[in-house]
Amino acid sequence: MNFLQGTLDVLILTALSGPPLHGYDVVDWIRTTTDGSVDIDDGALYMALHRMERRGWLDAEWRVSPKGRRAKYYRLTAEGRKELRAGEKNWTKFADAVAKVFAARP
Amino acid sequence: MNWLRRLMGTRRLERDLDKELRFHVESRTDDLTSQGVDPVEARRRALAEFGCYEPTKEAARDARGTRWLGDLWQDLRYTRRVLWSSKGFTAAAVLSLGVGLGANAAVFRVMDGVMFRPLDVPRPTELFFVSRSQASDSRFSHPTYLQLAKAVPGAAFAVSTPPVPLQATIHGSAQLLTSQLVSGNWFDLVGVRAGAGRLLAPSDDRGEGEPLAAVISDWLWEQRFSREPSVIGSTLMVNGLAYTVAGIAQPGFRGLVVGTPSDLWIPVHSQYEVRHRSNAGSDNADGSAPWVPQDGMSWLVLLGRAPVTMDRTRLLATLEAKHQQILQARHESEQDAQRKARALRERLSLIDGTHGLSTLRERLAPALRVLMGMSLLVLIVAAANLANYLLARGAVRRREFALRLAIGARRGRIIRQLLTESLVLAGLGGTLGIALALWGGQLLLLVVSTTSNPVPVNLPIDWRILGFGAALTACTGLAFGLIPALRLSRPDVGDALKTGGRVVGSVGAGRFRFPLVRVLVTVQVALSLLLVVAAALFQQTFRNLVRIDPGFERETILDVRFDPRLAGFEEAQLPALYARLIDEASRVPGVRSATLGLIGPATGSSRTSNLTVDKYEPARDEEPAFHLESVGPGYLSTMGMRLIEGRDFDSRDDVKNKKVAIINASMARRYFGEGSPIGRHFGSGEPTEFEVVGVVADTRANGLRVDVPPLAYFPLMQHPDDFARNLYVRVDVDPDTIRKPLEDAVRAAAPSLAVREVVTLAELTERTVATERMISRLAVVFGSVGVIVAVLGLYGTIAYSVARRTNEIGVRLALGASPAQVRRMVLRETLTLVAAGILAGVALVLPAGQAAGALLYGLSARDPRTLMFASVLVLATGLLVGAFPAWRASRVDPTRALRAD
Repeated sequence: MNFLQGTLDVLILTALSGPPLHGYDVVDWIRTTTDGSVDIDDGALYMALHRMERRGWLDAEWRVSPKGRRAKYYRLTAEGRKELRAGEKNWTKFADAVAKVFAARP
Repeated sequence: MNWLRRLMGTRRLERDLDKELRFHVESRTDDLTSQGVDPVEARRRALAEFGCYEPTKEAARDARGTRWLGDLWQDLRYTRRVLWSSKGFTAAAVLSLGVGLGANAAVFRVMDGVMFRPLDVPRPTELFFVSRSQASDSRFSHPTYLQLAKAVPGAAFAVSTPPVPLQATIHGSAQLLTSQLVSGNWFDLVGVRAGAGRLLAPSDDRGEGEPLAAVISDWLWEQRFSREPSVIGSTLMVNGLAYTVAGIAQPGFRGLVVGTPSDLWIPVHSQYEVRHRSNAGSDNADGSAPWVPQDGMSWLVLLGRAPVTMDRTRLLATLEAKHQQILQARHESEQDAQRKARALRERLSLIDGTHGLSTLRERLAPALRVLMGMSLLVLIVAAANLANYLLARGAVRRREFALRLAIGARRGRIIRQLLTESLVLAGLGGTLGIALALWGGQLLLLVVSTTSNPVPVNLPIDWRILGFGAALTACTGLAFGLIPALRLSRPDVGDALKTGGRVVGSVGAGRFRFPLVRVLVTVQVALSLLLVVAAALFQQTFRNLVRIDPGFERETILDVRFDPRLAGFEEAQLPALYARLIDEASRVPGVRSATLGLIGPATGSSRTSNLTVDKYEPARDEEPAFHLESVGPGYLSTMGMRLIEGRDFDSRDDVKNKKVAIINASMARRYFGEGSPIGRHFGSGEPTEFEVVGVVADTRANGLRVDVPPLAYFPLMQHPDDFARNLYVRVDVDPDTIRKPLEDAVRAAAPSLAVREVVTLAELTERTVATERMISRLAVVFGSVGVIVAVLGLYGTIAYSVARRTNEIGVRLALGASPAQVRRMVLRETLTLVAAGILAGVALVLPAGQAAGALLYGLSARDPRTLMFASVLVLATGLLVGAFPAWRASRVDPTRALRAD
């Protein structure tokens, strides 16, 4: 799993740490929260969602959306929450490391 | 098993995914619309923003891990298209593979049925037979059996006679049934169940005069009694003796002798009353008194069963010890020290009984081995076909694969697809092969049997055959698919893309750039030459054998076979019977003369005795012996035998006058020295009571390949206790027209005499070379199959080569070459391959000939005429096959060819 993919996963997991959302909601949430800086590619999103569902990090079920249409809603499993915490820790460690590199500029 | 569930619900998952993505796009569309964008424009933008729809689906599928299934399905559909697009070559490859696999599996089935299949009884590996070193037929006496049976704790023993014909009366007509006399515990020991009623039990081992039970086979019950339940408990007359049918043996059981099925089992103790008197060795015993109590009559086969855990060596030692005791007691009063010592030297041995007894096995074993070799060759040729086909196709599609690699296909994917293709091909071929094997096994047996001597081996459908076929198929497909797959998926793309389909200008272009293909075709031709040579050699061997002069007339003499003793005739009735038989037979139109014989030539039986000749001293270790035959008057002239010295029997030679005999040349040579044997005397031991009155030329009485034994003929009139079993009739007409009339005549002379068969001596002697005939027939079958398969391959290869070179040919034609020149070009190529193959094949004949040398007769494996014939045949076939593609090549339309890519 490379860096970029890992980051995407963490973002999605964070988005789903609250009430269950469907894919479109997730994109929307992330875009809104980052003030439009991060706009997730839709294809990558669904690939990630399905991959995480296969790994058992997410649970999915079909529900009727507020607009009256059926959509697939995702939410975190216990395993997923563990992954989220680990992902957060890793990211923080990485960010610290990068900061150190910048600080040590020759 | 989450993935399994996912696999199962693939279609639903696909729909779900579709819905999910569509929901996303619709939501985006809605958002845009609510922001004021035109709905149509909104949808377009939503889709565009989403990016590529299908790859997402595919990626999601990938993420789910069920992608390979969809890929496989795609591969299969593509394969189907590819194979269908070149139907002819697909058919050729599938057909040749199917035939190759089928032939092998068929031979495997026959071999299994004859040689490998264990008996259909519980724990067959526990069974064993006991054989004697000094008796070639390993028979024991009943008293010996009783003593040996008690000798080994933990092992059980039973006895039976070998299968013998007995005359039974069924629904009023007299028929000969193959039967066995068995001890009461025999069925129990073998482990056979009763299909209906009950089987023989130890309680049936009664003395004389008590009610007798019999058991019949399920086959007989079906064939002659139509499965009527009333058969059980009914009376069956056997040799004039009344038996009660106690039950039917389990379906499929017909004794333990493979190839000689039995249909009737009766108690051993009824031997005397039922007049069973054949297949016995006699030592100081009276053959006409009941055999059961006599220690000197050896007539029973000893069967044992012991757990596999019991050490066979120790078992044998125990038996041996007991047997020695018995021998000591038996020969205690023997005067002749030499005879006594020799008798005590006898040893026992154990024969594994898992597969039953079989002379059929020995007879067929060498032939089947040869067959296996030939069928393997056919398989190799077929597999080479497949390989060539795949390589040739691969060569054509190089460009296609180069293109796919260039636009990003993964190498693994391409390899997988090519393997799918070759596995599908192999699978089709394998299916065809299995079908052929199922049906061809029976066919093989038919080819192998003769009408009066069928090989009645049961060939059930066996899952091992399917397994064998499937394994072979898979191996072939993978092996021959992998090489081209690896080659073609090599990423040296540019070269292939550049040359495209046009191969103009490159030297050697169109010639097989892969020498592998040429080698394969050469190998194929070589092997098919080998097969043709083998077929021709075996055919010639058979013809040589059949042409040997047996010393008697074959075509014009018929043998009517029967058994008066089984039919219930007494000794006193024989002279009258003989007279009536000859009388009735002589009156049938077309009959020139008739006579009788006890044993007769080529019947497979013989009677032997030790020999003492006046004024002949045997060497120290020599045991003079001779064969005996009793014949009626006029035997020599009827049979067309040549008298060398002296005279034939005539009316002088009856019971009142001196005992006479006619000996054959072999006997005269071996035991009568230089001078004329006429007037000299010999006998079976002392006294030497027979006077030689004539010497007759040797006849190959016991078969065309066996050495002629010393043989003496005696007049039936002087041996009133001989029950003649053959009526020989010399005819002037076509034997086929006279069979029925002769049978009727015999029945008129003696209604209670069952006729076993009416055959010409030619048919009888041919039976003695049955193995050679079978080998020659099968060799022809396999030779033809091999050639056909090789020819299919050759055709495919040449035709493909032409197809690939369409451009080149087009250019040549456009530049002024004549169609004839094009034809010649293609033919020359064919010729080179075929010629190379023939040379290689001839080289292979030499070592192969060593292996099969023993099976040949009258010619060596290196026979030049045969090699010539085979070479010409293969060459002609090859050229014929190459002619069609050559003709097609010359008809290529240059403009079309140049345009095509």
